[in-house]
Amino acid sequence: MTITLHMAWRNLWRHKRRTWLTVGAMIFSNLILIFSISLQFGSYRMMIDNSLKSYTGHMQIQRAGYNEEPKMRSSIEAIIPLADTVRTQLGLDSVAARGVAFAMTSSEQRSYGLQIIGVEPDFEPKVSTLPGLVTRGRYFDDSDAEEIVIGAVLARNLRVDVGDELTLLGSGYDGSFAAGIVRVVGIFESGIADIDRNMAQMPIGYFQTLFGLGDRGHNIVINAPDVLQLAPVQQSVREVLRGYDGLVVLDWEQLQPGLKQAIQADFTSAWFMYGVLIILVAFSVLNTQLMSVLERTREFGVMMALGVKPTRLGGLVITETAVMSALGLTIGAVLGIVMTAYLSQAGFSYPGMEDMAERFNLPERMYPSLSIASIMIGPSVVFLFSLLASIYPAVRLYFLQPIAAMRAV
Amino acid sequence: MSSIVCKDLCKTFQQGDEIIAGLDHVSIEIEAGDFVCLSGPSGSGKTTLLNAMGGLDKPDSGQIKVGEIRVDELGKGPLADMRLHKIGFVFQAYNLIPVLTARENVEFVMQVRGEPADERSRRSHEILKEVGLQGMEDRRPAQLSGGQQQRVAVARAIVGKPALVLADEPTANLDSVTATQLMDLFVELNRNHNITFVIATHDIRVMAYAKRLIKMRDGKIISDEQQQSQHSNA
Amino acid sequence: MSRLPLRALFMLAWRNLWRNHRRTLIMLAAITVGVWAMIFMTALMRGMVDDMLLNGIRSLPGEVQIHDVFYRDDPSINNSMPPPGDALLQALRIPEVKAWTSRVRVPAVISSERDSRGVILLGVEPESETQVSFDLDNIREGRFLESASDRGIVIGAKLADRLETELGKRVVVMSQDPDNDIADRGFRIVGIYKAKLASLEEMYIYGGRETIQQMLKLGDRISEIAITGDDYRNVDRWYSTIEQAAGDAVKALPWYEADTYLGSMLAVMDGFVLVWIIVVFLALSFGLVNTLVMAVFERVREIGLMQALGMRPSSILYQILIESLLLLLIGLLLGNVIAVVTIIPLRDGIDISVVAEGMEMMGTSSMLYPALKVNDMIMANLIVIVLGLLTSILPSWRAATYDPIEALNKT
Repeated sequence: MTITLHMAWRNLWRHKRRTWLTVGAMIFSNLILIFSISLQFGSYRMMIDNSLKSYTGHMQIQRAGYNEEPKMRSSIEAIIPLADTVRTQLGLDSVAARGVAFAMTSSEQRSYGLQIIGVEPDFEPKVSTLPGLVTRGRYFDDSDAEEIVIGAVLARNLRVDVGDELTLLGSGYDGSFAAGIVRVVGIFESGIADIDRNMAQMPIGYFQTLFGLGDRGHNIVINAPDVLQLAPVQQSVREVLRGYDGLVVLDWEQLQPGLKQAIQADFTSAWFMYGVLIILVAFSVLNTQLMSVLERTREFGVMMALGVKPTRLGGLVITETAVMSALGLTIGAVLGIVMTAYLSQAGFSYPGMEDMAERFNLPERMYPSLSIASIMIGPSVVFLFSLLASIYPAVRLYFLQPIAAMRAV
Repeated sequence: MSSIVCKDLCKTFQQGDEIIAGLDHVSIEIEAGDFVCLSGPSGSGKTTLLNAMGGLDKPDSGQIKVGEIRVDELGKGPLADMRLHKIGFVFQAYNLIPVLTARENVEFVMQVRGEPADERSRRSHEILKEVGLQGMEDRRPAQLSGGQQQRVAVARAIVGKPALVLADEPTANLDSVTATQLMDLFVELNRNHNITFVIATHDIRVMAYAKRLIKMRDGKIISDEQQQSQHSNA
Repeated sequence: MSRLPLRALFMLAWRNLWRNHRRTLIMLAAITVGVWAMIFMTALMRGMVDDMLLNGIRSLPGEVQIHDVFYRDDPSINNSMPPPGDALLQALRIPEVKAWTSRVRVPAVISSERDSRGVILLGVEPESETQVSFDLDNIREGRFLESASDRGIVIGAKLADRLETELGKRVVVMSQDPDNDIADRGFRIVGIYKAKLASLEEMYIYGGRETIQQMLKLGDRISEIAITGDDYRNVDRWYSTIEQAAGDAVKALPWYEADTYLGSMLAVMDGFVLVWIIVVFLALSFGLVNTLVMAVFERVREIGLMQALGMRPSSILYQILIESLLLLLIGLLLGNVIAVVTIIPLRDGIDISVVAEGMEMMGTSSMLYPALKVNDMIMANLIVIVLGLLTSILPSWRAATYDPIEALNKT
């Protein structure tokens, strides 16, 4: 085996330029792949974090079926006591009950249809960043106050400011009209257009009264300490829910499948492009090795005359490819890590990102996130395909006839 | 040490529109330890016969026995093994693996055969000395002269103690002095190790060395004579 | 034979290429795959961009929109505009305009027996609306509106689900009139539609323009005029004509200003495409350089022969360059053919509906449509030829000036 490695190494350096160009293609691809994949991972994590932090949270307790069809009637009874129980059992503060409804909201000059969220003033700040994003006025402190907090864009459209009144008109729990007047006490700016334009929050006590919900609500948001370690927390919640009929706990992947799928979609479509790159490299390897084998026809003929079997010669070709690929992998990985590490500190952005940032909940610069996965995925596939590419030239040796080979030009 | 027996070998080649007789009912018996020259112009069939004996080329019909083995009946794998263990080849040119040094070229075959490292080292050293290349073991073929390259080829051919060495025009690229030195080497090895030598050539200087001279033309053997080798002490 | 005529050079070059056909085929394959890669990938990415953009534009809708000057900031009923006057109607007849429609667009609340939702109410003229924005194929149940005075309402399937209602049932739509009073009206659901992007199904409900104008006490005023043209990338050419004709009370906006996100998206995506083309191109060049340089140095012995026969270095240089050129041209031809052949069957789209919902978030539908554009192909071909020739020049020059004896003796 060592003589094969020996010969493989030396054979590679017989044609320095050719070997370096082939390895160069591998290094280049590995560089691009590491950077690109790290960038993707970095942006995904940010997407998830930001999306969840502002509203959805890591997981929610809901009535079974609510997620598919969020109807007013699909509610949780005695929601606030339940939220309390969950808090105690989990030992977590980041648990908050909410109610959800729609209402036509009118100021003196305008009306808009809005989503109204009833929140627990003491606990909502622990599960969502919105309360902290109130730029004018204040958040709530009293669960029964007839107050409302709205987004900045909405405030602009309604032509209202802190202190103004809004009229609400919607349907209540039992289908009857729900109507009320509330005072704007705070205006928030999340930077997310949808939220700033379409959402309003009010204390849950008043919410339940206004919409005739009694003690009901619609979901309990729970944030675990680490978004990547949800399973144990989810399990504990399930245990708490055992005593309650028809309630389930859903994690963010179920609550916002679009998010996970946006990530998957982006990743998948990226692979079409990575695929093209990898095919190019594999082909470069195929090309080089075919030429190299062709050039050594005579030499191989002699070796076969000596009694060396074609399988051994094939093994030589594959070893040469493996050595080249290992070189390409190592150097590419080192360069890729250096470049990506630098950019993961400095950040990376391309023109036009601000508008995109708004829609996808991304900040204005992207920070590639280096991980073992992002370093190894791309280069490993390149390595694999390079080896696969060398199979054809190696197999062709099997059909070589020593005499014909030795006569070759 | 084995003998070679060929019975009624036939082989034809197609070249363009013509069919050429490579071997035309050739039968021959060579004894162990013999020093034979196959001579004849190009196209006489001497190379074809040599290749057939060495299992490099299969005749269309006929039998070949090397020792007790029916070479014509062997498959590709066993043929390769036979060439590995029992037969040494020396070609006119391009004998060596360019990326390996002289010693490594010699050791290569031993390594393929699976011999242990210290054994390989010892024997390669010995053999290179025997062929007169002491001190040049670590040179690559590009750094050796034509004659030196051929010697390395010979060393490699005999290091495994083969029964038989087949040489195809080994002196064609060499000047007179070097050619003579190479042939002297062959003779010595034949004498000292009792290895059978079959050499295909059209070089009359080489033919003078043969103990037995077989002339071929158009695929047939036209004469087969024992002769007084001018340079052997046998 | 010191200087050969061009035709002879070509012939020599051609035959030399095929002398060792295995070697030539290997090199051809490298070039072909490289060319294919560039074209295929560009087409794929263009398709994504086009799809995203066109979907976005159809949901704006329109490549150009005309609104009251205040409407953009505050898209409410108070900022409505008059219907198009003569000057505007004239301007709308220019050949670049494919279709146009006028609409009423206001926020509203729709209620069924069970639930209510905030939506956007559209009062449309069905015939022109379907040319600019709404796709008749999307109607799943019932029908679309039949005229501007149709009294029915068409809602999205998702919305019908949420409201727990269905075709034929009644709903109440509530909005605001210009005096800030509530305007409401009952409608029967006459059609249910599905949209490529499910979120749109929940947002837009369609009624006949005249019916809605009546309900909202608008008279003949409208919210907007939406216009489509023939090429979304070349709207600047004609939208100023429209703008001038429309007058000062209203503003005409091209789509990239109406939705700056979409507009910057185009720039970003184009930039993205360019970056990836460069990446593929760089990856390709490694192989190309390798191949072409090998092509030259492979044949050192032949070059020595040519020199020995008395050919001038310049002739040798040309001959080798012509060989490289021939190699490139054949490779390009094959690469283009294969690219076209692989893209055409995929015209109907690569189905990635497994991750459909996610794609909506990104603004595309669940199919990837590669878009082959002649300009892209030409560019790819040009790049390869130019790079290829540049790459061949240096080694060819080196080889042509070899010492003949050295060359002849090389193995």
